[in-house]
Amino acid sequence: MAVDGQALAAGLAPGMRLADARARVPELLAQPHDPAADAALLEWLADGCDRYTPMVMAVPPHGLVLDITGCAHLFGGEAALVDDLVTRLARLGLTAWPALAATPDAALALARHQADCIDDLPIAALELPEASELALRRAGLLTIGRVARQHMPALAARFGEALPHLLARLSGAIAVPVTPRRPPAPVEVERRFAAPLTQVEAALAAIEALVVRAGLLLTERAEGGRRFDVALFRSDGHVARLVVETAAPVRDPAVLIRLLRERIGALADPIDPGFGFDLIRLMVPVTAPLAAQQLQLEGGSLADSEVGALVDRLGARLGRGRVRRLVAADSHIPEQAAFELPLGDAATGAAWTVAAPGEPPLRPVTLFDPPQIIQVIAEVPDGPPRRFRWRRQTHDVVRHEGPERIAAQWWRRADGAGLTRDYYRVEDSNGRRFWLFRHGLYGSEKPDPGWYLHGLFA
Amino acid sequence: MTGFAELAAATHFSFLRGASSPGNMVRRAVELGHHGIGIADRNTVAGVVQAHVALRELKEEQPDLRFKLAVGARLVFADGTPDIIAYPATRRGWGRLTRLLTLGNRRAEKGDCTLGFDDLAGLHDDLLLILMPPPTGPVPRLADLAALAPRRCWLAADMPRGGADRRRLARLATLAQAQGVPLLAVNAPLYAAPEQRRLHDILTCIAQKTVLAEAGRRLLANAERHLKAGAEMARLFAGQDAALHASRTILDRIDFSLDQLRYEYPHEPIPPGHSPQGWLETLTLQTARKRWPEGLPPKLQALLVEEFRIIAKAGYAPYFLTVHDIVQFAQGRGILCQGRGSAANSAVCYVLGITAVDPAKHNLLFSRFISEERKEPPDIDVDFEHERREEVMQYIYARYGRDRAAIAATVIHYRPRSAVREVGKVLGLSEDVTTRLTSTVWGSFASHMEQQRITESGFDPQAPEIARLADLVGQIMGFPRHLSQHVGGFVLTQDRLDETVPIHNAAMPDRTFIEWDKDDIDALGLMKVDVLALGMLSCIRKAFALVETHIGRQLTLDNIPDTDTAVFDMLCRGDSIGVFQVESRAQMNMLPRLRPREFYDLVIQVAIVRPGPIQGDMVHPYLRRRQGRERVEFPSPAPPHDPDELRHVLGKTLGVPLFQEQAMKLAITAANFTPSESNQLRRAMATFRNIGTMQHFEAKMVGGMVARGYDADFAQRCFNQIKGFGSYGFPESHAIAFARLVWVSSWLKHHYPAIFAAALLNSQPMGFYAPAQIVRDARDHGIAVRPVDINFSGWDNSIEGEALRLGLRQITGFREAWADAIITARPFDSVETLARHAGLPPRALRLLADADACGSLGLDRRSAAWEALRTPVGELPLFAAASARELGAEPDADLPLLTPGEQVAADYQTIRLSLKGHPMALLRGHFAGAGVLSCGEAAIARNGRRVAVAGVVLIRQRPGKGNAIFVTIEDESGVANIVIWARLFDIFRRPIMAARLMQIEGEVQRSPEGVVHIMASRIIDRSALLDRLSDTHDANPPLARADEDLQQPSRYPGGRARHPRDVRILPKSRDFH
Repeated sequence: MAVDGQALAAGLAPGMRLADARARVPELLAQPHDPAADAALLEWLADGCDRYTPMVMAVPPHGLVLDITGCAHLFGGEAALVDDLVTRLARLGLTAWPALAATPDAALALARHQADCIDDLPIAALELPEASELALRRAGLLTIGRVARQHMPALAARFGEALPHLLARLSGAIAVPVTPRRPPAPVEVERRFAAPLTQVEAALAAIEALVVRAGLLLTERAEGGRRFDVALFRSDGHVARLVVETAAPVRDPAVLIRLLRERIGALADPIDPGFGFDLIRLMVPVTAPLAAQQLQLEGGSLADSEVGALVDRLGARLGRGRVRRLVAADSHIPEQAAFELPLGDAATGAAWTVAAPGEPPLRPVTLFDPPQIIQVIAEVPDGPPRRFRWRRQTHDVVRHEGPERIAAQWWRRADGAGLTRDYYRVEDSNGRRFWLFRHGLYGSEKPDPGWYLHGLFA
Repeated sequence: MTGFAELAAATHFSFLRGASSPGNMVRRAVELGHHGIGIADRNTVAGVVQAHVALRELKEEQPDLRFKLAVGARLVFADGTPDIIAYPATRRGWGRLTRLLTLGNRRAEKGDCTLGFDDLAGLHDDLLLILMPPPTGPVPRLADLAALAPRRCWLAADMPRGGADRRRLARLATLAQAQGVPLLAVNAPLYAAPEQRRLHDILTCIAQKTVLAEAGRRLLANAERHLKAGAEMARLFAGQDAALHASRTILDRIDFSLDQLRYEYPHEPIPPGHSPQGWLETLTLQTARKRWPEGLPPKLQALLVEEFRIIAKAGYAPYFLTVHDIVQFAQGRGILCQGRGSAANSAVCYVLGITAVDPAKHNLLFSRFISEERKEPPDIDVDFEHERREEVMQYIYARYGRDRAAIAATVIHYRPRSAVREVGKVLGLSEDVTTRLTSTVWGSFASHMEQQRITESGFDPQAPEIARLADLVGQIMGFPRHLSQHVGGFVLTQDRLDETVPIHNAAMPDRTFIEWDKDDIDALGLMKVDVLALGMLSCIRKAFALVETHIGRQLTLDNIPDTDTAVFDMLCRGDSIGVFQVESRAQMNMLPRLRPREFYDLVIQVAIVRPGPIQGDMVHPYLRRRQGRERVEFPSPAPPHDPDELRHVLGKTLGVPLFQEQAMKLAITAANFTPSESNQLRRAMATFRNIGTMQHFEAKMVGGMVARGYDADFAQRCFNQIKGFGSYGFPESHAIAFARLVWVSSWLKHHYPAIFAAALLNSQPMGFYAPAQIVRDARDHGIAVRPVDINFSGWDNSIEGEALRLGLRQITGFREAWADAIITARPFDSVETLARHAGLPPRALRLLADADACGSLGLDRRSAAWEALRTPVGELPLFAAASARELGAEPDADLPLLTPGEQVAADYQTIRLSLKGHPMALLRGHFAGAGVLSCGEAAIARNGRRVAVAGVVLIRQRPGKGNAIFVTIEDESGVANIVIWARLFDIFRRPIMAARLMQIEGEVQRSPEGVVHIMASRIIDRSALLDRLSDTHDANPPLARADEDLQQPSRYPGGRARHPRDVRILPKSRDFH
C-alpha cells in the first residue's frame, strides 16, 4: 500500500496492508494499485523530458535520469534547467527530488537519499547485500565518504571486488551511460518530410509505404512482426503514436494496412495533423520467426490463423481489451465461478469443473446475472419446486434433482451471515430444463424465502 | 427414541478439521435425543477420553439417561483406500485399534500416521468397520473389506446436499447390496451445530495455509456437516430405513467402554519369588537398617507399619518400587534428584531415599498422599538435574521397552496470542495488526481476549473486521492445535502399552509419547511417574564440582551444615539473588519481614509467598504474631474436648493455617471430618467447578466446629481461609522439600559466591534472573568478573583465583564444539591464527569479535570484526604445515572509535550483559536534567515523598487476583520496586506492558522493616531512548531472563526497518501472571 500526505499524517505508512489500514482508519479512501498506470505515467513524463535531451532513461518505479551533457546551455544553465523541470512537474501536482551529478548512478543515489554530496550518502546507497552493509555499519563506516577513504584492496578483501566497483560508479570514476528508453527496434523505417504533411490521407499513404518497406525487411529476416509502432512527429513537438499488435507474426502489407486503418478508424480522438507531421517512423519492436508460407493442399489447417486474424481484426477495431474469454474461478457461488479476461491475457484460472462421464452437467449453459425472480409453489421447509412462473408463463415441474445447497460467503458481509441457496435442476412438462434456487433456508434464515431462476440448461 | 445415532462424528481432535469439542458433540447428541454417538477422529483416539468423561458427567446429572458412546477412530489411509471408521467391539478390539494406530504413527514423521489397507488386514479382529465412500466416483476396497471382515463391515452413506444426493444414495445402496454389506446412514458431522460453519471455514483455511478470500472451493459449500436431529436424518434417508437403523445394530454389538481399560504395574523392579508388597517391605526395612544402624526411630517405625497396611490394601507396592528403581539409577549415576510434592508425606519414600523429608519429624499426613477410600493412583513427582534428566528418561525406555513405557501427551491449545495471530491471518489482517492486538494480553495463558484489550491497542472493537476477529478468536480459544509430549510424565505398564493407547514419535529423537494427556490418564486411572527437571539441582551439582576442584572440599546434599547464622543473616537482608525459590522480588521483600532464623522458617517462607496464603489473608496475621505484635492464641473447644487440640495442628505456624495439610487437619480435628472427607475437601478447594460441593463442606465444617464448642465467627474465618487456598497452597511436605534446596543454595551463595555465580551461569537457562543480574550481584559482592576472552575463557564460566571468568557459552549463538577447538589450539596472537589453528568458521569469528572476546590480542570489537572479515575460511592444505601468516599487512583502517553507548549496546546484544557500564548510566544526563532520581536515591528518600525514577524493566508481575502489578526496574545504582494498582493499570496498560525503559512517578512507601516501594501514579514508556545509544546495535534492555511464555510486544510498527538478526529482541524482562 502506498499513502499520500494525509494518510501519512493519520499514522498509515507505505507497505501496510489494506485490511490493517482500514482497521485503523475506517473512513480510509483506497484505490487499487495500478502498476501499469504508474509505468505509463513515468513513460509519459519521460516523453515530456525529451524536450531537454534525447538521452532520457526511466528508472521505475519513480526515477528519471536525463543526460544533459551539452544541452544545459540551451536552457540557461544546469540550475535553470532543473528549475524549469521541477516547476513543470509541480504544475502536474508531482513532487520531484532533483539531483545533479557526474554519473547516472550518483545522481540517482543523491536524489533518493536527498543528500548534497556523494561523501555524505549513507552506505545504504551502495545497495549492498544485507550482511555486507551490517558489517560496514558495525565497523562504524556509515557514509560513502568513510568507506571510500578506506584502502581499496582492504575493502575488496572483505567484501569482494563489487564494492570498489560500486564506489567507483558512485564517485564517477566509472560511468555507466544512460540507456535510452526505446531500444532500437529490430526493424525500423522512417521518412522525413521537408514540407510537413497536413492531410491525414497523405500521412496514411506515407505509413503504407513504410509498411511495405518494413515487410521487405521482415521477409529478408524470415520474421514477422507481433507489434507495429507508428510514431507521427508533429512539427510542434507533439508525438502521436499508433500501435497494432497481432496474435501471430505478420508481415503481409495488405493485412497490416487493413489493421492500421481499422485502428485509426477506431481511435477515440482522430489523428490531428495540426501544423503537419515532419517525421513518420515505423518500428517493429517485437518480431518472431515466420517462414515463407504455402497454403496446404488439404486446406482447413489455416483455421487457427483465421481465428487469429479475426481476433486481430476485432481487437484492432474494438480495442484488444474488449475481446474476451471466460476463465473459471475458484468459488462455490455460481456467478463468481467464472469471469472474463481479455483474450490475449495468458492468465489461467482455476480448473473448470467437469461432470464425471455419464453424469449430467451440474451447471447450466446460460447463467442469468442477476438471477431472475420467479413465483414458485413448493413444499415447506425445503421441498422441490412443483410449479413456477417465469416471464408470465407457468411451468409445471415434472422432474427435479436437488437441492444443491450453497451457503453465503459470510466473510464478505458485515453481518457475517447471508442467505443460503438451495439449487434445483428441474424439467418442465415441455422438456425444458431450468436451474432454480430458493434464497434462504425456510424458518431458520427467512420466514418466506424468495425463488430465482438462475440459468437454462441446453 | 428416534432410533438414530451418528456414528461418524469428528471432534476438534481431528486437528483443523473438526470444529467442536468431544464433550460438545456428546452433549449435543444427547440433547437431540440420539441413542448414542460414535466418536471417530482422524487416525487418533486423543479425544475419546474427553467424550467418555463428558458422558460420565451427564449420567451423573441424569441417572436414567440411556445413551451409548462408541469410541474408535477414522482410519485414513495413505494407499488410496477410502477412509474406514473402526469401532472396537471388545477390549481385545481396542488393543488391535491402538496397535494399528501405533504402527502408523511410529512409521511416520511426527504428527502423522501412515497406514495401508494391509495394516488393517493384519489387525482387524474384533473391530467393527465402516467404509466411508469418496464423495464421487466408484468405491474401491468395498469387496476386499467385505471379504476381510464379513458381517463386521458397513458402507456409510451421507446426504451432504450436494445436488445429486439421491442418485448417489441409490448407487451406494445397489453397491452395498451387491457386496452383501449393509448400508449405514451418517452425516459425518464436523461440528455440533450449523452456526459453527464459520469456525470450520477458519480452521480449513489455517490447515490449507490460505486466507478466506482465496480459499474458494477448498471450503465446504454449506453448513450441513453438523449433528442432525433424528427426524431430519429420517427425512433425508426416506426409503432407506435399514440404513437408519443400522446405527442401533452397531451400537448393540459394541461391548467395550474405556472403563474396561485395566492397569497393571510393571513387574521389573520385583525380584522373582517375591510378592510386590513383600519386596517393598523387605527393601524398606533393609534400607532402614542401613541408614539407622542403631535402630529405626519408633515414630518412623510406626508410620511405616501404618503405610505398609494402606499400600498393601490399595496394591500400590509396585508403584513405589518402580519409582525407587528410577531414583536408584539416578543416584548410581551421580545425578542429583529429590522427590517433591505430596510424596514427601510418605515414610516409605523417605526411607527408600525417594524424598529427603522425614515425615515423622514434621508430623506429615500420609493420607494427603494416599487415602484408603480414594481410588486414584498415587502421584510421586521426582525432580532431576535439568541437564541430565534425559539420561534418566532413556534408562526408563531401556528398562521397560518402548512398547511399555512412553511419555504422556500435552495438548497444545490455542491461546489468545496464537488464536489472534492465526485467525487474523485467515481474515486478511497482517501480523503487524495482530501483534499489536495481542501486545496487551497479559501472558499467553489468558483464557479469553477481552474487548478492552482491543480498544487499548488502538482499534475500534465495533469495526466489522475487528469484531469478527474477536468473535472467532473466542470460539477457537482452547482448541487443541497439536499433541506434544508432557514435560516428564511417564506411563509404564506390564502389558503392551500400545494395546491401551496409541504411541507417537516425539519431535525429540529417542522419545515416544502416548496420545492421552494428564487429565485423560487420571480419568482412566492409569499410573504415571513424573520425571521432572529442576535447574537448581544442576546448579548445585556444578557448584559442588567447582568447590571440589578449587577448594578441595567434598560436598553433598546431606553434608551441608544445617545451621549457620551468617547464612540466615544474608537471607534476612533479602540478599538472595540466585537462591532457589526465595529469589523473586516478592520473596526478597518478605525475607526482611519474616527474618528466617532456622530451617523451618524457610519452609514457611517458601509457602507463605503464594497466592493461597496471600488471598486467604494469612500473611499479615502470621507476620504480626511472629514479630510479637499480636498474641499467639489458639481458640479452644468446649469440654470435654482437648483444649489444646488446635495448638497441635497450628502450633508450628503460630495459629495461622499456611499449608494444605493444616487445612485438612483442622477439618479433621476441629470439625470431625474423616481423613477421606478432608481429602474431598482438598479436591473441592482445588477445583472451582463444584460450587455446590464447597457449600456442603462449608456447612459441615462450620457446623462441626460450632458443635465442638468453637466460636461461630472463628469457625467461619477458618473456613474462609481454607477456601482462599484453592489450588495455590503448598502442601507442607512440598514446602519442606523445596526449603532444603533453599538452604543448600543459600549456603553455597554465602560461602562460595564466585563459584555459586559460575554454577548458576553454567546452568542457564534456569531460575529467575538473567546472567546480567547474576553477574551484577556477584560484582556487588566484591567478586572480580573478567570478560570473555579467546585466550582465557573456557566454554563454561570458570574460577580464576578469586575471580569469575566469563565463558564462551555466554556468547549468544556460540557452539561448544568451537569452544573446544579454541581451547585445544590456544594461545593465539592474531585473529588469523585463531581462525587457522582453531579451524573456526566465519560465523564463529564474527561472534567472537562482536562479543569483544579478542581483548588479549589488543583488538577492540570493531577492529577484531574488521580483521575477521578478511580472514579466509578454514585452513588451506598447502599452508597447513607452514602455519605461517598469510595475510599481508594492511594500512591502519582508522575505524571510528565505538562510543560507550555502542559498546554497552553491543555487549548486551552479544553476551546479554556488559561489564563496561549500565545503559542507564549513559542516559543519566538526560534523566538528571528532568529531575528523575536514581534507584539508589529513591531507596533512601523519605517516606511519602513524591519522586520520579526510571530504569530498565527487569520483571513485571501480576500475581493472584491481579489487584496490583509489581514492576522491578534497574539502573546503574540498583533496583527499585514499583507497585501499580489495577486502576492505574487500565490507564497505562501499554507503557506498563511494553516499556523496556520505564519512567515512573509516584510516592515512596517505606515499611517498618525498611522495604521500600514506589506507589506509581504515572508511567511513561522511555524505550525510545535506548535506541539512541547505538545506531549499529540494538540496545534492548536485556536484563532479566526471558519468560518463554510471554512474548515481548514487537516494536511499534513504522519504525526503522531492520534486518531480523538485528531486530532480535534481546533477553527480555521476566513477566509473571
